[in-house]
This record gives sequence, structure tokens and C-alpha cells, in this order.
Amino acid sequence: MTKKYKFLFIKCITAAFILNGCSSSTKLVSEDKDPFEKMNRNVFQFNKYIDQNIISPISKTYIKKVPTKIRSGVSNHLEWIDTPNTIINSTLQTEMENTILASAKFLLNGLTLGFYDLDKGETVIKKRDFGSTLAKLNVSEGPFLMVPFLGPKTTRDLTGTILDKQNIATLSSNSIDDLNLAEIPINIIDKRSKMSKTIDNIYLSTDPYIKVRTFYLQNRRNEIYSKKYIENKNNNLDAEFEKLLD
Amino acid sequence: MSKFLNYTFLIFLIFNVNIAKSFSDNLKMGEATIQQMIIEAQKHAINTIKLEANERSKKIALLIKKYINLDFMSKATTGTFWKKASETQREKYKTALLKQIVLTIEEHLNTLATLSYKPTKSERRGKKLIYVRGLIEDPNKKKPDVNLLWKLAANKNGSFLILDLEIEGISLVSSQKAETVSILRKNRGNFDILLNKMTREK
Repeated sequence: MTKKYKFLFIKCITAAFILNGCSSSTKLVSEDKDPFEKMNRNVFQFNKYIDQNIISPISKTYIKKVPTKIRSGVSNHLEWIDTPNTIINSTLQTEMENTILASAKFLLNGLTLGFYDLDKGETVIKKRDFGSTLAKLNVSEGPFLMVPFLGPKTTRDLTGTILDKQNIATLSSNSIDDLNLAEIPINIIDKRSKMSKTIDNIYLSTDPYIKVRTFYLQNRRNEIYSKKYIENKNNNLDAEFEKLLD
Repeated sequence: MSKFLNYTFLIFLIFNVNIAKSFSDNLKMGEATIQQMIIEAQKHAINTIKLEANERSKKIALLIKKYINLDFMSKATTGTFWKKASETQREKYKTALLKQIVLTIEEHLNTLATLSYKPTKSERRGKKLIYVRGLIEDPNKKKPDVNLLWKLAANKNGSFLILDLEIEGISLVSSQKAETVSILRKNRGNFDILLNKMTREK
């Protein structure tokens, strides 16, 4: 990595942590608190434009022209390439069972470079990234951000994403770095093709930006905080529902 | 004294057995409601495939109305703004909300016909609520399983109606509420603006 990129990387991390500092000290930020809403809405419009005019048409052609088996192979490979992040972060989060399962699956599927899932999806691995590691370290979620090309994130998750990419780059050789660059657009097309119905549905809603924000925050919190968070959320909702039923 | 204690114990036992029985009956009723709705939706998807879009939507709306508590959902998705709405605005909002639910279900109805539903666990929550959990599975294992959580409560007639559905932990009522309340807040609680936005053709 050149000095210029190292400097940029450090700047991004610092900026993300500074933005994190804007939030309250509690881990979760209220969904209604969106200090960058105006800017986020502009970025959302930009992302939507790119999606509707470039990504979605390519993704539709990809679904039409590429056979399901090849698409599933590509999906498997992209997932496999991402597994080292899960291994590292599961270790950092002391989830040893997940570390062992992810390592075993990574080695097994490595025989086919990840293009074929040799255990046929029987081993369920919880995806872990630096965003979730930071959450376990009690780093505040920070305000919601809409990032150009990357989509919805919280400042903590944006920091995590940068660290994840840095991680892969450090682990891999230059040739794999080049491969990663080619994989970014494939990854975007693959994800878009898998979520086409959901995304098209979101665009039809009354306020697509709010829908994306609430879907992202609910989903991300479920992933990170799992049972404890869900139970807490359900208790609050139950109380609200019972009050309304009276 | 011992007789009194025996009677007290007996009454306590009968009371508790009855409560436990009623709890388990309620859970069974809740599960049956969801099972019945899934069967009807799957039948419906197959039977209405050749109908025109409008006709199909009308039939789906009737089916949904039978199983959801639309009054509750309308109140829950508008928060404190519900009290400020007039009777006409409330009725219009209910119609618009139902239309949105129908649109969402229509998108997935054909897919639902090819998948299978498996109930997993039910539990009683608080005084009135019941959680029914289930799994949508693809028999060919080409699609990942989807976890569902239905939240139900009995109405005045004693039959169970759906209050909310969580798909993979994402609550439909919470998502709709975030959207509705944001629009209402920005427009100082003006329901007409919200209704215009909801009914506008996209």
C-alpha cells in the first residue's frame, strides 16, 4: 500500500470516529435521529439514479443470460472470499465455535476456490465483520449515513467496512488485490440480482429513503445484537401493542 | 384448619390448570389461524393466476381483511397522530394501508405458492399477545429459509387476528410507522398530505 493510500485510510478512520463522537454515548441511536438527513437524501437520490440506470439493467441481463448454476457459483465464491473477515472478527469477538466452523468451511471450499459449496449449506456460519466487532467493544452506533455507491451504513459500520477492506488487502498478494478490484462490480451485480424484488418494492413506497433507513437499522441490529436486542425490542413493542389494544 | 388449606390448595390447582389450559388453547388457536391463512393464500395464488390484476387485488384484499386487525395496524403505524385525524381521514388511511399491504403480498404471492410453511414455536406474551413463529422453506433448497414471526391478539369475538409480521426480524408495523410518522411530522400532522402521497400512482 502506498503512503498516499495509507494517509487516506487513516483520514477516513479518523473522520468516522469523529462522526461517531457526534452521537450520544448510548450504543443505539434512535431511528428518528438523523442529523445528516438532508445530505443523506441527496446521496440516496444519486445512488437510486445509478441503480436504476446502470446497476439494475445489468443485473436484470445477468439474471436472464447467465444460468442459475453459474450465478450460484459466483455467489458462493464471493461469500468464500469474504470468509477470512468472519474468521478474524469471530476470533476478536471470542466466538470460537463460529471461528472454527468458518475456518473449516473456508478450507474445505478452498478446494474449489469457493465456487462450489462442498458442505451444501449445512454448516451455518454467522457473518462477522469489523462493524460488529466495534459494536461488541461498545463503540456507539453513530448517526445513519447514506454512502455513495455503498448505500446505507452507520458511522460505526462505515469504519468497519473500511477496516474489513484494509484487512483483505493486507492479507492478500498483489495479484489477489487486482482480482478483488474485478470482484467489486460483480459483487454489486450479484447482490442486486438477489435483492431485486425488495429494492424495487422499496422504490414504490411512500418514502423510500425512510424505508431503506429503517430496514437497514433493524436488520443490522438483529445481526449484531441477536437475541438480547430482539428480546428487548419485542418487550418494548409488546408494551406499546398492549396499550393500543386496551 | 387443614381442611381449609386443602380446599384452598384444590381451588388454586383448578384455577391454575384452567389458566394453563386456556393459554395452550389460545396458542393452538393462534397457530391454526396462521396455518389456515397460509393454506388459503397458497390456494388463492393458484386459483387467481389467470384473473386480471384488479380482480386479483380485490380478492387478495378480502383475504387479508379476514386475518389482520386493520384498525390496530392503522393506530400502531400512525402513533400519536391517529388521535388528530378525522373519521374520514382515518377511513381513507385504512384503505390506503390495506392497498399497500395488498401490493406487498401480491409481489410475493406467486413465489409463496411454490414454497412450504412450517410452524416452529409459539409463545404467549403479556396478557393479550401471542407470538407464532414459522419458517418459509424452499422444498428444492434453492432459496434460503425465511424466519417469520406473527404477532396476534384475540378480538372481541374471540378469534385471533394478526397485529404485526416480522420477516427475518424486520417488523412491518415498525417500518410503516417510521415512514408515516416522518411524513406527518414534516407536514405538521397533516393527514391529507400523507394520504395524497400514499395514494399517488408510482
